[in-house]
Amino acid sequence: MSDMDRNRAVLVHRIRDEDDDEEQFKPLEWGLVRRMLGYSRPVRGKLITMFILTAIRAAQLPALVWVTALVIKGPIAHKDVRGILLGTAGYLALAVVTDFMFHFRQRYALEIGETVVNGMRSDIFDKTLRQPMSFFHRMKLGRILSRVTSDVEAVRVGIQDVGFVSAIQAGQMFFAGVVLAVSDWKMFLVVVCMAPVLWLVNNHFRMKFSRLTRAAQESFSRVTATLAESVNGIRVTQGFVRQETNAGLFRSLLSDHSRYNIALARSSAVLAPILELNSQFFVATLLVVGGWRIFHGSLQADDLIMYFLMANIFFSPITIIGNQYNQGLLAMASAERIFRLIDTQPDWVDSPDAKELPNPRKAEGSAPIAGAKVEFRNVSFGYDPKRLVLQDVNFTAEPGQTIALVGHTGSGKSSIINLVSKFYLPTYGEILVDGREIRSITGRSLHAQMGTVQQQNFLFSGSVLDNVLLSRPEATREDVIEAARKLDCTDMLAELPNGLDTIVGERGSGLSVGQRQLVCFIRAMLPDPRIVILDEATSSIDAMTEARLQRALALLLKERTSFVVAHRLSTIRGADLVLVLDQGRVIERGTHPELLARGGHYAALYKQFVQVDDRR
Amino acid sequence: MRCVEVLGIQLILLTMGLFGLSFTGVGIDYIRQVVSHSGPGPAVAPVHFLRMSLPAGMRPMEVLSILGGMILLLSCCRAFLNYVYAIKVNVLVQQKLVVDLRAEIYDKLQRLSFRFFDANTTGSIITRVTGDVQSVRMFVDQVLIQSVIMVISLTVYAIYMASLSPGLTLACLATTPVLWILSATFSRKIQPEYAENRNLVENMVQYLAESIQGVAVVKSFGREKENQEKFEKLNRSVLSQQYKIFWWVSLFSPTAGFLTRINTTVLLSYGGYLVATDRLPLGAGLVVFAGLLDQFAGQVNNVATIVNSVQQSLIGARRVFEILDAKIEVKTAAEAVRRPKLEGAVRFEDVSFEYGKQDPVLHDITLEVKPGECVAILGATGSGKSVLMGLIPRFYDVSKGRLLIDGVDVRHMHLDDLRRNIGTVFQESFLFSNTVAANIAFGHPDATQAQIEKAARIAAAHEFILGLPKGYETVLGESGNSLSGGQRQRLAIARAVLLEPAILLLDDPTAAIDSETEHEIFEALDRAIEGRTTFIVAHRLSTLRRADLIIVLENGRIVQRGTHSELIKVPGPYLHVANLQLVDGRELQEPTGGVSP
Repeated sequence: MSDMDRNRAVLVHRIRDEDDDEEQFKPLEWGLVRRMLGYSRPVRGKLITMFILTAIRAAQLPALVWVTALVIKGPIAHKDVRGILLGTAGYLALAVVTDFMFHFRQRYALEIGETVVNGMRSDIFDKTLRQPMSFFHRMKLGRILSRVTSDVEAVRVGIQDVGFVSAIQAGQMFFAGVVLAVSDWKMFLVVVCMAPVLWLVNNHFRMKFSRLTRAAQESFSRVTATLAESVNGIRVTQGFVRQETNAGLFRSLLSDHSRYNIALARSSAVLAPILELNSQFFVATLLVVGGWRIFHGSLQADDLIMYFLMANIFFSPITIIGNQYNQGLLAMASAERIFRLIDTQPDWVDSPDAKELPNPRKAEGSAPIAGAKVEFRNVSFGYDPKRLVLQDVNFTAEPGQTIALVGHTGSGKSSIINLVSKFYLPTYGEILVDGREIRSITGRSLHAQMGTVQQQNFLFSGSVLDNVLLSRPEATREDVIEAARKLDCTDMLAELPNGLDTIVGERGSGLSVGQRQLVCFIRAMLPDPRIVILDEATSSIDAMTEARLQRALALLLKERTSFVVAHRLSTIRGADLVLVLDQGRVIERGTHPELLARGGHYAALYKQFVQVDDRR
Repeated sequence: MRCVEVLGIQLILLTMGLFGLSFTGVGIDYIRQVVSHSGPGPAVAPVHFLRMSLPAGMRPMEVLSILGGMILLLSCCRAFLNYVYAIKVNVLVQQKLVVDLRAEIYDKLQRLSFRFFDANTTGSIITRVTGDVQSVRMFVDQVLIQSVIMVISLTVYAIYMASLSPGLTLACLATTPVLWILSATFSRKIQPEYAENRNLVENMVQYLAESIQGVAVVKSFGREKENQEKFEKLNRSVLSQQYKIFWWVSLFSPTAGFLTRINTTVLLSYGGYLVATDRLPLGAGLVVFAGLLDQFAGQVNNVATIVNSVQQSLIGARRVFEILDAKIEVKTAAEAVRRPKLEGAVRFEDVSFEYGKQDPVLHDITLEVKPGECVAILGATGSGKSVLMGLIPRFYDVSKGRLLIDGVDVRHMHLDDLRRNIGTVFQESFLFSNTVAANIAFGHPDATQAQIEKAARIAAAHEFILGLPKGYETVLGESGNSLSGGQRQRLAIARAVLLEPAILLLDDPTAAIDSETEHEIFEALDRAIEGRTTFIVAHRLSTLRRADLIIVLENGRIVQRGTHSELIKVPGPYLHVANLQLVDGRELQEPTGGVSP
């Protein structure tokens, strides 16, 4: 009961992601750094210039302060007006050079960062899209997206800041250290003692920040997930009068999230004052110790002023480098995740000696050819080879035939069309297209002669024309209209608000289901394919549209070899061969009347179908 | 009140900082004086500091120790106050403001009528609760509080600096207006560029997302290469646009940096001259001045950030308040009729409905349904079926005419009573990522396990639920726990019948189910409909036939009404649809020798 109560106390369970278990930090690794920098090849010259600029800037910053200190303790302290003017002129000159060079140092760093990020994104897209379908079966979209967004951004910071900033700061520290040590090494020892404390305190808190930030992000993702479902399910919520309960649940999520935020603020509220206290402590120490040494004549009073000014230059890099170091660790972890995605070996690729499947329709002067011949020989298949979802499937689709696949969800219908599409390779047995083993045919040439209509009727955002042209990018607008004419549905096309130029929203929004299916039909028709693969939509379309689509479908299938996962009676009736599947095996085959006459499994399935109509 | 507190702390912090800095300067001067008078002794001229003079009789080291101690003490206090301040601001902003605002929006969202959700996309609503609330936070946090702090500290710094040397102050701050103008110009220049960049990046990411969602389409037409080229193009356009931004950024920050260095130059030359001519002390004057200038520059840099935030956060705030101010169109009337249990008599009297000023979706609907009757609605997409059903639980309110349930106008009935008496099954059953039990008990979270199981049995869902990995406690949506359309729809039916509603609304419940599994839910539907007033949107004859009354909708009007046997005899849209489907039926029944319809 308590378990149940707990489950009711939330609106939405957060589904754990593999990324939750990924490490957040990763130690610096030279191999990864080199590989990241490898992406900067297009701007190699800038990278080299950057190294030089970084070295110079590391000297320039402390030099500016040093000159200031020199002017104060020299001419100003000794009231030498001419010296003051000369000194400030020198300072100004140095400032001009420094800031002029800073323009390049900053711009190049940003450009290198962007170039690397750009190259990585391209690589991710390229490598991902080349993966066979099994990859997309396993990998969630969200994970790929977080590679091209947050991970890539972490790498950008790593490239454009971490290395360069750390180097400059380290140089600055070194330079300031030398100046201080040379003028009075005993005082310098006092300064140095404080450095490790600062480093440790800073790093302790930074690590804590990262952990808390992550916890806060996680709680925030619970907030957004709940919010998203609440908005999507608003009709349900209002229909069932759950507004108040939901609001209470949401509020508790929010306070949970704010708890992490407050904790985060609390630790930063500790760190910032500590850092400041540290520098004040240093000032007080300098004053007392320095004063004591001056009174004993072992230190020049004017040198003390320099210490006050230069000490800051010596200390400030500690926290900056500490933060950069943390950023570096984050960037490393991100880079590793990105490279792991890029390096994922495809389960299979077209074999190197695969040849193109010749297209007889392209050959001049030949008579129209009615489709391709497709043959399954003892085909067994499993998405996981240990769990076969198809077993010993044998059949031949003669050119021009329509093969209807019938069976319950999970009986293996989709697996058969996935195999014909060469989305997957058979685990055992072979598939022949025009007498050639499917493995010896390049995927691209096979797909060029194939028209596919998928169940979801997936459309990309863009115009209807763009979507249709996907199947044959070089086709013209007239070709598209011709294809629609062949399907006898130019009138339906004309009913779209802007015809072919109607803009389709994300995932086909803005079009009705029937219209979406129509666009998919035209898209499949455009390349004049020899093989048609059709996974009939399950969602019902209103009866009038349905009838129109049936006619278009019949025209699409004509004179092509087709494989149809059928949900419509009319499609099944029109098929040359119906394969009845059950648990991965073909249990019955024949035409619709033959199968009905046999009175077996199919007939029973059918009766159920009909009975639905006849109850009452 | 809290704001005043926060500002008070800030003012104290500022004063302490100034004192700390001054002590340092005094210390330096003191050391120099002691040294220049060569040898300790009372001969030291008193160093003045804010009208206090250092006690002359003390030994130099004692003076220095006191100064050092003071600096430490002050900074300890400052550290403590800083901590208190940070906590206070965060509690104020993070805990009070953000949580309250988000909770308020969420609460409001839950009450807004369906029209609002028809008009706004999920994405934009979510951004308002997440991103835009952050903008409001930013407004309070960075704009309101920060700008007041900035004004105060700039004034204090300026006054203090002027008290040291008015001339030097003016000379050093001469560049400040230039910096402000520069920041403002830069910000105006760069904002649209950043906005465009966000668009470009969004486009690119969206293209990637779509390519992966539609990867099966891409692959089946062999368009990997074309997609890569397109992505490359989008990716490149981000790069080249970024390069433009980089140029501007790398122009602005060195220039701004150079301006502060000019300040230092002025300080060194003019300030140095003042020191040289004995018009300014070195430590308490010049060094302190250098320190102040540094902090002043820090505050001035804030101006650019604040200017940026103002624009962004105002846009965000406007979007947040749009929701908070949105009118709740459907709510319980002031003196509502309470009817905990309804009979289920439904009457439409000349009902019309329209969205805003557009053409009416429903025209003059008149319909009377007795308790327990089943009404089937047939019509093409956009004929107004869903709206007609949505009027009953007041998801929308009628524009003209009235709708009576048990003789009471729904607008006069208590909304919660009304909706609790209506069970709804939507076209695509929305289930939450929660356990099966929690989903069934959605409308009645305190339901017992027995009640839940009873509802599941009615919906013919009990068996398959027991077959799930954790039975009723299985969390939906986790890997491997995906349900088929028929299973989801049966859970939705169980959810609806758990409340034992008098009225049942079924919006095309078989739409998202493939025909092989369609029969699974008919049993569930039959049992659910039993004894309840039911409205069902349907296309298939199998469903239409079992209704007591069929209405055919066309463009928002009832064009035909009657029972199946009546309508099948007259020419009209119903007969047309029936014929389309009967072709199937007749043919298939011949070989098996079935009964003719």
